[in-house]
Amino acid sequence: MSMEDYDFLFKIVLIGNAGVGKTCLVRRFTQGLFPPGQGATIGVDFMIKTVEIKGEKIKLQIWDTAGQERFRSITQSYYRSANALILTYDITCEESFRCLPEWLREIEQYANSEVITVLVGNKIDLAERREVSQQRAEEFAGTQNMYYLETSAKESDNVEKLFLDLACRLISEARQNALVNNVDSSLPGEGKSITYLNCCNFN
Amino acid sequence: MANSLGFQGDGGSVLSMEHVRSLTDLQDLKEAYERLCAEEKDVESELLTLLGQQTIVEKKMLALQRMGPNLQLIEGDAQQLSGMITFTCNLAENVSSKVRQLDLAKSRLYQAIQRADDILDLKFCMDGVQTAMKNEDYEQAAAHIHRYLCLDKSVIELSRQGKEGNIIEANLHHLQEAEQHLKVVVSEKFDAATKSGDLPQVERFFKIFPLLGLHEEGISKFSGYLCKQVAKKAEENLQLALGTEGGERRAALIFADTLTLLFEGIARIVETHQPILETYYGPGRLYMLIKHLQAECDRQVEKVVDKFVQHRDYHRKFQQVQSCMMRGSSTDKIEPRDLDPILSEVTLMSARTELYLRFIKRRVVSDFEVGDSMATEEVKQEHLQNLDKLIKHCLLSCSVQELIGYYITMEEFYMRESVNKAVAMDTCERGQLISSMVDDVFYIVKKCIGRALSSSSIDCLCAMINLSTTMLESDFREVLCNKLRMGFPATTFQDIQRGVTSAVNLMQSSLQQGKFDTKGIESNDEAKMSFLVSLNNVEVCSENIMTLKKNLENDCNKMFSQGLGGEQAKAKIDSCLSDMASVSNKFKDLLQEGLGELNSTAVKPQVKPWINLFLSVSHNIEEEEFNDYEANDPWVQQFIVNLEQLMAEFKAGLSSVIYENLTSLLTSLIAMELEKVVLKSTFSRLGGLQFDKELRSLIAYLTTVTTWTIRDKFARLTQMATILNLERVTEILDYWGPNSGPLTWRLTPAEVRQVLALRIDFRSEDIKRLRL
Ligand SMILES: Nc1nc2c(ncn2[C@@H]2O[C@H](COP(=O)(O)OP(=O)(O)O)[C@@H](O)[C@H]2O)c(=O)[nH]1
Ligand SMILES: [Mg+2]
Repeated sequence: MSMEDYDFLFKIVLIGNAGVGKTCLVRRFTQGLFPPGQGATIGVDFMIKTVEIKGEKIKLQIWDTAGQERFRSITQSYYRSANALILTYDITCEESFRCLPEWLREIEQYANSEVITVLVGNKIDLAERREVSQQRAEEFAGTQNMYYLETSAKESDNVEKLFLDLACRLISEARQNALVNNVDSSLPGEGKSITYLNCCNFN
Repeated sequence: MANSLGFQGDGGSVLSMEHVRSLTDLQDLKEAYERLCAEEKDVESELLTLLGQQTIVEKKMLALQRMGPNLQLIEGDAQQLSGMITFTCNLAENVSSKVRQLDLAKSRLYQAIQRADDILDLKFCMDGVQTAMKNEDYEQAAAHIHRYLCLDKSVIELSRQGKEGNIIEANLHHLQEAEQHLKVVVSEKFDAATKSGDLPQVERFFKIFPLLGLHEEGISKFSGYLCKQVAKKAEENLQLALGTEGGERRAALIFADTLTLLFEGIARIVETHQPILETYYGPGRLYMLIKHLQAECDRQVEKVVDKFVQHRDYHRKFQQVQSCMMRGSSTDKIEPRDLDPILSEVTLMSARTELYLRFIKRRVVSDFEVGDSMATEEVKQEHLQNLDKLIKHCLLSCSVQELIGYYITMEEFYMRESVNKAVAMDTCERGQLISSMVDDVFYIVKKCIGRALSSSSIDCLCAMINLSTTMLESDFREVLCNKLRMGFPATTFQDIQRGVTSAVNLMQSSLQQGKFDTKGIESNDEAKMSFLVSLNNVEVCSENIMTLKKNLENDCNKMFSQGLGGEQAKAKIDSCLSDMASVSNKFKDLLQEGLGELNSTAVKPQVKPWINLFLSVSHNIEEEEFNDYEANDPWVQQFIVNLEQLMAEFKAGLSSVIYENLTSLLTSLIAMELEKVVLKSTFSRLGGLQFDKELRSLIAYLTTVTTWTIRDKFARLTQMATILNLERVTEILDYWGPNSGPLTWRLTPAEVRQVLALRIDFRSEDIKRLRL
């Protein structure tokens, strides 16, 4: 890692129903624009943005997935290596909110157990068409141990905050993990206990 | 100074009269007087210079007076010149207005000629159309109409207003009628030609449409004709496919082949008809044709895919697989091998689709490039976006995406099941360092990723790389972990040889023995072999992963060089492959853990007691004992023999890399333990010499068993031997500090004193007095 021009590398995967604004969120964050009518995402798209937080360079690998059912097996294959998942719904679309438990089951099944999940309610610029109240979403996020944030990719509300806060959280998580690992590891040849019990440890 | 004084107001001096009057003090008066005198002197000298200049000024005045008459002459000339210029100017103005009039006249003349031409043309067209129509020379008639359509409408309007207005009006009416008539006729003739499948006639009338300004209609009609052909051929092919006997050569790929025929047919149509289209309709219109053709293609694809799903039982197989994956063993278990044909067929279908779509894209893009060469950037972008949307969201793309979606799950199942089998059937032939499952597993992974690659779908390939990474990293690594976790058992023989060392060791070994109790001594050997083989397996896995990654990189580069995928695709694959490579490191970590385990359970408990025997050999010896040791080595030779025996088993059972690793751990261990016992011993002068001999033998032996340099690991011990061999305490100074030469001391001054103190013949006061 230290060989490259960044201090941390994180993978973030965006999931959620088609049309909730995942692609717009990613484009807003990585390119600073709100793309006009670009059509539904095919498979997965991949973008990189390097940000600096407190003097440290953080490379964010952002995977934007297609929401349609027929791409599910492709998108699922990315869950496991994700450090964070951004589960997105559309606040003006009750249906997209009602599908969240289904997405959570996917996460449960395929993602790393240490993955950080953020629930995002997008399109707050369309406040007059809101179908899901903030309180309801917050309560739901609370029961599922998720962070919750409302955004507008169109008006650029909270988009920067979403990714930067996530990066901060990932850094502190990574630091904590490094600490735990250092305490655990014993020199080879001095092995006191067999440590390869934790096979799937977080990298 | 003189100057500044000279400019002091109207001839006045620095000192005003009032000031002089007000002076009362003699001293001040004197000073004022002196200053005034000096002033006077300056003024005088200035006056002199000015007077000196008088003659020059006078001369100049004279010269000026002489110039007066000349100036009057010049003034006269200038007035004359101005008059001439005004005249010329007027003249020029006159000429240029005439030229302007001429220009106007000329352009009007041209227009008149043009209009005359146009009117003549119009007449010619009017006459021509009628004869041409009578002769059924539709090309000619259309050419006339085309000429008429290209005429300036205002010309026609003007002609109507002219003297022959009425005749023209009538003719014009005929012409318009002829135009309408021709449109109808051409359309009818085209339809008739289409019906009778008369290609030359179809093409004949296809060429006429653009002359009548009916580009879209022409393309749409022609496409309709082509689509019918596509449909007819496709239906025939599908019927043939459905009639194929199971035993026929490509029976297992028949639906992929049917799809291929469909694509090839369309590609051939494009190849054949693009030149006519471009010639008669101009560049930039291929997209329109393709759009129509793609609609037909989609209809046919739907039928083929439907039949494929139905005949291959694709959805049921998928559901079966899914339930197997969900619930583990299910009632109707699928043999992975049975999935082989269908997985191959689906990937082939996908590959053909990608190839076809790329062909279409390439063709339309280059047609747009020519057609849009003068267009604005926005128009260009819009055209390309439309094409992109057509390709991405056509039913063909969606259908194949769906098939591939199912494929990935089935391929994953195939991989997992096959890997499970390989693990279950794992065997290791005697004399082999690794067991069968490693090669088997990597063969399977390679096959599955290779098949995904053959689909030409980047997302499909990435997904399979990801799934393989997951399988290797968690499932397969877990298998190897479990094998290593069983530990390396100590044999009874070694137990006896070791003697009762410590209660802890005893407990540990009996616990480990307990695991293999039921199988007895032989299985104990097997357990040992199993452990060593697992270590080798882990190492080979980490290497194989890197090889797999490299090979995949090469394969992908080949794919890219064929024009498949862009920068985005490359970045995706790179990322997925680097994840895969990082699994290699996890296997390396596992290897280190396993080696550590082997070292601490099988090597250390044996080696430590052997080293501890050093303590039972006195190094506080005299000549006689020294000689006796010379004849009957008391420790090191047996130690070396023991090491040799201990390591022989590992040398035979471990790959050279791992064995090297283990010997490295062993040498570190020996160095560390030997240092401990040396510090617990006491030495005479000859004892020091004895130790030096022993150490040299040991290092010489260890150098032969490892390719790594071990001198470094024994540097501290070698330095301790040097100290124990000194004649006098102060002799250390010959090697210390400025005298150390190339030698880098690994012992601290305190340690040097500690070692010196091991010599019973060195006095502690001397040691204390040393200045290190
Ligand atoms: N008003 C509004 N529309 C949005 C916002 N984000 C996305 N959209 C629109 O929602 C539609 C789907 O967006 P997209 O990013 O393609 O959704 P995805 O399928 O989740 O990737 C597009 O028409 C966007 O213009 C937003 O914050 N506000
Ligand atoms: Mg999208």
